[in-house]
Amino acid sequence: MAERVFITGIGMITAIGDNVAGNLRNLRLQHSGLGYSSYIDTVYKNVLPVAEVKHASDSLFALAGMPAKEGYTRTTLLGLAAMREALQDAGITDIQSAPTGFINASTVGGMCDTEKLYFDIIDPGKTGSFLQYIDTLDCADCTQRIADTVGFSEHIATISTACSSSANALMFGARMIKQGMLPRMVCGGTEALTRFTLNGFNSLKNVDKQFCRPFDQQRTGLNLGEGAAYLVLESETFARANNSRILAELSGYCNTNEAFHPTSPSPDGDGAYEAMKTALEMSGHSLEEVSYINVHGTATLNNDVSEGKALERLFGDKVPLFSSTKPFTGHTLAAAGAIEAIYSILAIQHGLIFPNLNFSERMEELTISPVTTLMEGYPVNHVISNSFGFGGNNASLVISKYEG
Amino acid sequence: MAAISPQPTFEGDIFSAQLVHTDSNLLACAEPDYKPFIPGNSLRRMTRVLKMGLTAALKCSQESGITTPGPIVTGTGKGSLQDTEKFIKEIVEYKETALNPTPFIQSTYNSVNGLIALQQKCTAYNNTFVHRGFSFENALLDSMMLLQEGATHTLTGAFEEITKEHFYIKSRIGFWKDQPTDSRELYRHLSPGSIAGEGATFFTLTGTPTPQSYAAISDFRMLYKPTGNKLTIALRAFTEAPDLIITGRNGDSNFEHYYQELDQCFPGIPQLPFKHLCGEYDTAGAFGLWLAARILKAQQIPAAWFPGIGHLPTPVHSILFYNHFYGEQHVMLKLEKV
Repeated sequence: MAERVFITGIGMITAIGDNVAGNLRNLRLQHSGLGYSSYIDTVYKNVLPVAEVKHASDSLFALAGMPAKEGYTRTTLLGLAAMREALQDAGITDIQSAPTGFINASTVGGMCDTEKLYFDIIDPGKTGSFLQYIDTLDCADCTQRIADTVGFSEHIATISTACSSSANALMFGARMIKQGMLPRMVCGGTEALTRFTLNGFNSLKNVDKQFCRPFDQQRTGLNLGEGAAYLVLESETFARANNSRILAELSGYCNTNEAFHPTSPSPDGDGAYEAMKTALEMSGHSLEEVSYINVHGTATLNNDVSEGKALERLFGDKVPLFSSTKPFTGHTLAAAGAIEAIYSILAIQHGLIFPNLNFSERMEELTISPVTTLMEGYPVNHVISNSFGFGGNNASLVISKYEG
Repeated sequence: MAAISPQPTFEGDIFSAQLVHTDSNLLACAEPDYKPFIPGNSLRRMTRVLKMGLTAALKCSQESGITTPGPIVTGTGKGSLQDTEKFIKEIVEYKETALNPTPFIQSTYNSVNGLIALQQKCTAYNNTFVHRGFSFENALLDSMMLLQEGATHTLTGAFEEITKEHFYIKSRIGFWKDQPTDSRELYRHLSPGSIAGEGATFFTLTGTPTPQSYAAISDFRMLYKPTGNKLTIALRAFTEAPDLIITGRNGDSNFEHYYQELDQCFPGIPQLPFKHLCGEYDTAGAFGLWLAARILKAQQIPAAWFPGIGHLPTPVHSILFYNHFYGEQHVMLKLEKV
């Protein structure tokens, strides 16, 4: 029998909070992190809303628990801030106390900093300390700097499957635990806002000039966000021997590909349907037992139709409560899966269903609509968290209340 | 298996192939005719590494004879550099307006995986690792786990390109040799840096041997930034004396000492280095593994590629493969004859 995988520590930073407590507070207060950018060098600064972490990179060093140094990108610093909290939350003072792997996720690595220096980097006439940032463009840079700063020396990896990246990082870590490779893994992702991604999504006409409206008939696109989140995963055997405090169980997961289109989901949500169905089957729980679904819900025209159709197909006329938390955090791409996995845990721990902000009109294609007000004291036992991305990559996680 | 590399590896007999060499410090791929693999209208939009990656993957599937597609797992250190560079520049050139989204889409690291799945109508597991010298290796680990979990087969590979611009960028932090170096003489010019390369390599992996199997991967270990001593201990614990060693030696004096640890662990065992064939890049390990598997199955070495090595100690039952990427990501694999 494969090991069960427990979540024993969480850490995060997003536009609505520098830590888990800050995120929970603003979710409860229904305070969105969306606004206009202070830090991206773009003509869309006052045009396209984003959910930016409210600190300049220089001041992120303190949150990252290190002195200011060249070569540490915003991606790395956001990641370090979340990592510090996750380890502390799990009671890990020394990573070397048990063999621990690190699976990170990133979509554009240190692009946030390299895009500002790129033309100097390729100009033979220019030289200076910017050369410290040359190797920060790839996705492994942030992973290795985080690993080296906090002391990971076992297995490390970086996954990049667009918007499903950190959901896949959690899955990969859980599978390594189940196969007995390592007893403890820290998994998640980090993403900083960049002019590159903002222009990328904008060129696809996928960005809303207003605050995003997931599952709303009038929605016109997503807002980008930034942040980082990590979860400490432990095997049941290790968690019990270590007397770890168990927050929740990662009871099911599925990664599937739609093979439909490079950037668009299928109109009937085949990939989303398959990912949710298979992840739930793995968890051993029934459709009726699902209390809440933290949907991918980007507010793009295609995603919400596809995901909504998949919900209706899978659950029939008994679709569980669902909401998108992207109006709080923006779409944080590689970090989204891990951020929303933590929100799922908070829903279970505190009996909360988070509202889907900015919703007013049900989509004509659907018979369902999201939760629009904060629900407290609601028993949440099993949550499905969805992350779907470019390249047809679909990932669903099932997070369950720990019952002993 | 299928490999697009600077050598004529995509078609024809590698055991009678000539050695392609350069003194430009950049070994570029011999690109095949893509038309038999990719429809013309798709081909026009695709950039180089997408074409190389997709074509190598499709050829690999064809060669395996497996008609039901399974999980697709890949590794790439840098993805499509050409698209990334293009989009960075167009943002400035067009002042962030009316941009063509194609380079942005294609710069996404998992775009090759998406294309493979799309072309094969494959809805199974799909994952992309992007971690320098652990990119392909994590894809391999993921695939081996999938086989353990019950998948009958996986399509597992790696792809990388080098552009002129990226070659220059990496030259600024000492990745390449200062002086033009004849790739045939790579191991004799021990100096800082190596020579650049690129390639796309794919494997069909199965949990049980088939008549077509090239080799069995019997053990596998990754080590992150080990000390020399830790490496030695790991190498010694990893395997008894193999019949042959294939190494990622690359003439870079900064990190040669790791290969010297290997020499000391296994004295007297013949070694074949492969970086004079493919150059140095994040996922060169996939090419090295491909070469090892070809040698193991054929029980011979491509003679023109290894002049002066002479004949193999026959039969070769086991090969130790060891590679590292600029001293950070170290990989050891044990291959056995099926």
